[in-house]
Amino acid sequence: MAVSHEPRIVGFLCNWCSYAGADLAGTSRITYPANIRIIRVPCSGRVDPLFVVKSFQLGADGVLIAGCHPGDCHYTEGNYHTRRRFALLRPFLDYLGIDQERFRLEWVSASEGKKFSEVVADFTETLKRIGPREI
Amino acid sequence: MARVGVFVCHCGTNIAGVVNIPEVLEAAEKMPMVVSATDNKYSCSEPGQASIREAIIENNLNRVIVAACSPRMHEITFRRALASAGLNPYLLEMANIREQCSWVHSDNKEIATNKAIEIIKMAVAKVIRHEPLYPRQVGITKRALVIGGGITGIQTALDIANAGYGVVLVEREPSIGGRMAQLDKTFPTLDCSACILTPKMVDLSQHPKIKLMTYAEVKKVTGFIGNFEVEILHKAKKVDHLKCIGCGICWQKCPEKVPSEFDLGLGKRTAIYIPFAQAVPPKPVIDLSHCRYTKYLTWVATGQEGKKPPECRICEKLCPTAAIAWDQEEQLFTEKFGTIVVATGYQTYDYSHYKEYGSRDFADVITGLQLERLMSASGPTGGEVTRLSDGSHPKTVAFVCCVGSRDQQRGRPYCSKVCCMYTAKQAIMLKEHDPEVQCYIFYIDVRAGGKDFEEFYLRAIDEAGVIYIKGRPSKIYQDGKKLIVLGEDTLMGRPVEIPVDLVVLATGMEPSAGADELARNLNISYDTYNFMVEAHPKLRPVETHTDGIFVAGACVGPRDIPECVAQGSAAAAKVAALFSQDTLTTEPLIAVVNQARCIGCLLCVTICPFKAVDYQTTQDGRLIAATNESLCKGCGLCIAACRPKAIDLRGFTNQQILDEVAGLWL
Amino acid sequence: MIEEIRNKAKELLETKTVDCVIGYEPATDNLTSRPVFIYEPSQVNRLIFDETCVHNLSKYLINRRYKPTGIVAKPCDTRGINLLLNEKQLRRENLFIIGVVCSGIRKVRFNQIENSMPTKCQYCSQHTPVIYDFLVGEPVTEAPTHNYSDITEIENMSPAQRKAFWSEHFDRCIRCYGCRQVCAGCYCYECFGDELDPLWVGIRIAPGENWVWNTVRAFHLSARCIACGECEHICPVNIPLMLVNRKLEKDTLHLFDFEPGIDTEIVPPFATYKKEDKLGTGE
Repeated sequence: MAVSHEPRIVGFLCNWCSYAGADLAGTSRITYPANIRIIRVPCSGRVDPLFVVKSFQLGADGVLIAGCHPGDCHYTEGNYHTRRRFALLRPFLDYLGIDQERFRLEWVSASEGKKFSEVVADFTETLKRIGPREI
Repeated sequence: MARVGVFVCHCGTNIAGVVNIPEVLEAAEKMPMVVSATDNKYSCSEPGQASIREAIIENNLNRVIVAACSPRMHEITFRRALASAGLNPYLLEMANIREQCSWVHSDNKEIATNKAIEIIKMAVAKVIRHEPLYPRQVGITKRALVIGGGITGIQTALDIANAGYGVVLVEREPSIGGRMAQLDKTFPTLDCSACILTPKMVDLSQHPKIKLMTYAEVKKVTGFIGNFEVEILHKAKKVDHLKCIGCGICWQKCPEKVPSEFDLGLGKRTAIYIPFAQAVPPKPVIDLSHCRYTKYLTWVATGQEGKKPPECRICEKLCPTAAIAWDQEEQLFTEKFGTIVVATGYQTYDYSHYKEYGSRDFADVITGLQLERLMSASGPTGGEVTRLSDGSHPKTVAFVCCVGSRDQQRGRPYCSKVCCMYTAKQAIMLKEHDPEVQCYIFYIDVRAGGKDFEEFYLRAIDEAGVIYIKGRPSKIYQDGKKLIVLGEDTLMGRPVEIPVDLVVLATGMEPSAGADELARNLNISYDTYNFMVEAHPKLRPVETHTDGIFVAGACVGPRDIPECVAQGSAAAAKVAALFSQDTLTTEPLIAVVNQARCIGCLLCVTICPFKAVDYQTTQDGRLIAATNESLCKGCGLCIAACRPKAIDLRGFTNQQILDEVAGLWL
Repeated sequence: MIEEIRNKAKELLETKTVDCVIGYEPATDNLTSRPVFIYEPSQVNRLIFDETCVHNLSKYLINRRYKPTGIVAKPCDTRGINLLLNEKQLRRENLFIIGVVCSGIRKVRFNQIENSMPTKCQYCSQHTPVIYDFLVGEPVTEAPTHNYSDITEIENMSPAQRKAFWSEHFDRCIRCYGCRQVCAGCYCYECFGDELDPLWVGIRIAPGENWVWNTVRAFHLSARCIACGECEHICPVNIPLMLVNRKLEKDTLHLFDFEPGIDTEIVPPFATYKKEDKLGTGE
């Protein structure tokens, strides 16, 4: 019997924008797939590439980093550094066998509850399409 | 050994209506190091908090999970509950099973219940790694530094001083007053600018709480909120202001005449001078680049080549109090402050880039600010508007708006906000001075957004008979005694060619020279035009991203006088609020360096947006990073950049985040 | 060439400009070479330089950072010196760099020299040292070029092929950490790979743990690897580590226009940012 694949997403959300955005999705009662597990970090710049690598090693189907839009970082410039790290890490992981569609960086502001739910829905959909990750 | 208590909140039916609470409790009890798992109808209510307190004491808990709403909602509430039970408040972790679970997965209760269990599992894995943390108290130096002595800085300094706190105002020119002192009248009320400003200047100079430092500049800033150390350079005035009584005999008798900066080159001043008659302090400084005696000294020092300059020293001979101090040198003083307010204001755009408007080559093309000086009763012409070329009275005047504003090609795309109104004001004033004058105003749009502004603009048309022509002139050239302004009336769609006697360019605002350097010294942000950047354009308009440093007035962006005054007062209110406390509590969730692991690559020093990481040299000569607890804001940027993992963020340590992730697969 | 190195080393030691010269001498197999530390002027004749001098000696400078030291360095090694200077691990005033112009060395193993060049030399066009106090050989004037055909080849594989390719290699890893020990850029007192709490890399030799090690080792060298190829040279199970490192080198060059070790004073790409960065993501 074919069991539908329920991917697991580890989401690193910055406290000031994206985590608040996820909260707003809740207060607005917007439903989205339950596949994401959220880790609150102070800033997307706090996300060490090691956390991403470890998440994949432990079995995550997808990893999401979400932070404030460029220019809106609570700490003024954290997300610019995140962008640089991500720009190098994503193709590198892809090169080493982690499909780049499994690793996303999104800007979600505190007012974008709707966007957050769409990001999760779309990411979940993508991961279902790619199928389970062989470890 | 961690003893974790899990408290699951029903939040009425908000959580319990979707998540199966008994199932969650059953699962939570089996999680590692969990000794109790209980539920509450409303955890945040007083009975809810009481039950948490009791459970902590009864079960001897040393870590607490509250599975309820978002930590952004009630983390502080529950931290207090922990504290009241005698537990360190930072041993709490909240599991967000409302905003990020029950409210968004109400369509599938089974999935929501499973997710809630996993969220709690991750929180338990993290909370086990929590350590007690302690906020620190730091003292405050209750003394403010205001940089810039224009109307904004004056207002700020007065308001802070009136709240009872000491203020030092630093101004780099010999007098305070700024741009407003140069204006003739203010729109739209046509108040005499000097008449409303100078009393404030005098108030400031006589205020017992204010120390005025003119002819001085801020050179270096270190420290943090409550405890800044600022190096202030006092330029050599060569006049002892303690002795000087401001009698004025020196600047009346000084033989060396140079163009006056205050009058924008339209008038003359002497080498020993006060910039304008109502200057505060009313005591002169010697401009060494023009002083004859200084030239003589240079001539002696450089081997007496060429013609001998006169050994003037007239000021010294005439001074009744022997206040001339040739041996005075520039001095650097370090002062301590609790806060800093930046009010460095603006300067007008230098239109020499506008070749089509003559790049300063035509004597009768002047700027709006120059016209202010010509119209001012205390100006170089005593208030008579005359042409610089032949001294005649202009009968036709063309104004050109948006010179150095709203011009993408010159890299000045922003609107300078005040020019529409000041051109209207000047046109009205010219008509009042001489009813025969006809004014033309070339504009792009008339922006009259402000109290009584639109009415004032209509008054220019109706009463002063100003002709408004929509379009930016393409060329200005000299034809005999007349200046010809070529342009297009874009509303009529036809070219216009107007011969006039005088052209006034409404040059826009740009930040004062050196604003970028000052911003770098203060570690505050500035934009591509060197305007300072506020912490939030709507909600935190006078704060910066550096705690304890405020910005006000035209250094942040084009502002008119009332806005500058409002911002100055706003900054002063922020300062007073800060000074009303005796100590500042610092957040303990900050980065700390494990010096044994630090390899001294100092990437963290480069990367820190707050200059919160510095370095030390150990006894064996190694460089190691060290964080400043008061400057660190706990963003964690340095931690992610640190390869040897020598720096960690309290409350979000590598161990905590890794365990939180790994908790998902336990 | 060798005479020039020996004479310079002798002069440096005699004048006490440095108290040690790090260079190469013949190895005991009489075929390859090995690192040597020369302290006495009388010993300089042990120094050689030829196509077997594969080692990157700049790693040895870290332990001698406070002592005046001379070093014989190939172009790739001088990039290592630049990297260490940039990261404040060395003091320029304590260094005397004898730069050697190099057109590539040979693939060597103990007791054997192959006729081909190692990967690092096949794709290298930096033939002149980037930093030196004394230059041996004629500097090559033509500007270095970049060739990443080997990387593109792997990039063009299907995801499944690529996964299989790396699994095959990383599964062999015995985590001896030789790649780290030999690397000039790996000088942490305690490597994340050795850390127990948090346990970034598990103790067991298993594919997942090997993958974490190899991924993060390389990523810690992103925008830092100076392509000396020592990790690949040392690897006892022949993992093509330069293919990992050079992928990051290629992307760093492409995204940030940055080459590590070329300039001493430059700010590396991960220490700074541009608001207008166009990196193809998150703009």
